[in-house]
Amino acid sequence: MPDPHKRAQSLLDREAVEGLADADAAWLHEHLAACAECAERVAALSAAIRQLRLAPVKVPANLAARTQMRLYLRVQGSPRRMSPGLVAGFALCWAGGMATAPWVWRMFEWVGHLTGIPEVWMKLALGLWWGVPAAAAATLWSMERQKEMQ
Amino acid sequence: MQFSAVADDRGALAAALRRRDPDLLDALIQQYEYRLFRYLLYLTGNRETAEDLFQETWVCVMDRGHTYNGRASFETWLFAVARNLTIDAYRRRKPEALDALDGPEIPAGGPSPFEQAAARQSEVRIHESVDSLPAVYREVLLLRFQEELPLNDIAAITGVPLPTVKSRLYRGLEALRREMEESQDA
Repeated sequence: MPDPHKRAQSLLDREAVEGLADADAAWLHEHLAACAECAERVAALSAAIRQLRLAPVKVPANLAARTQMRLYLRVQGSPRRMSPGLVAGFALCWAGGMATAPWVWRMFEWVGHLTGIPEVWMKLALGLWWGVPAAAAATLWSMERQKEMQ
Repeated sequence: MQFSAVADDRGALAAALRRRDPDLLDALIQQYEYRLFRYLLYLTGNRETAEDLFQETWVCVMDRGHTYNGRASFETWLFAVARNLTIDAYRRRKPEALDALDGPEIPAGGPSPFEQAAARQSEVRIHESVDSLPAVYREVLLLRFQEELPLNDIAAITGVPLPTVKSRLYRGLEALRREMEESQDA
């Protein structure tokens, strides 16, 4: 027959960790009512667990506020990642622009011949043809990012 | 927006974390300030380290919030992040895992938080007993009895199977009882 005190100790641990079946719980409580030594052990263990649960901890002053500030500064300082779709879109536009550049220039050249505008102005117009949409897109993206940060 | 409602809805919480919603992060930091700091303090035994790791944990939540899929509860995920950061920090300091961590050190500048609260001798004895436990036992005891987390969540946080969690809890309780008896005899 197993030592009832050892069994009680084992059941006490099990009760604390994962709970007991009704029959075991009944046996344990009956044993504890009759055994002062085991009851003392229960009291000691319960006190330890209670202390662990209830012991107050002093949180450093403004810990949450300082953490929030750190996150805020990190967001401010870190460049926003572009979505893969946006990156792919930019790449496609750039590749398309490079591939069609000779034909676009021929069109500008033809317009220059037709209207008599000096070639230097047509080259400037060609630069603006690509530069203005890119600058507008960059400005819009920047404004969007500012709005998100606010 | 009711953030407590969002925190209860794992899908909404995961979506908000993917957006790095600043209001949600603020609310979560406030909500878990005490529990997360207490966990880290008991795990590391050092206030400064716990404070650093607290902040690092939230930086990690912000940066890697998109990896939270809502399958586990947020607090399970949060404590797992904090635990992993603690292990990383100690590995950087010395090439040992959490298993090899020493017991919490008592800050030289004054009494530890536990001691401040422990006005009675019996409380001090319990504190010393918990401190002297191996880190792997202390950790599961804290998660089970301090954070009152279910066994499955503890298994998810510590990354060990459920039977191992139970075994560590039983051994931890046994070690705690032995420590308390020894300190009582002393």
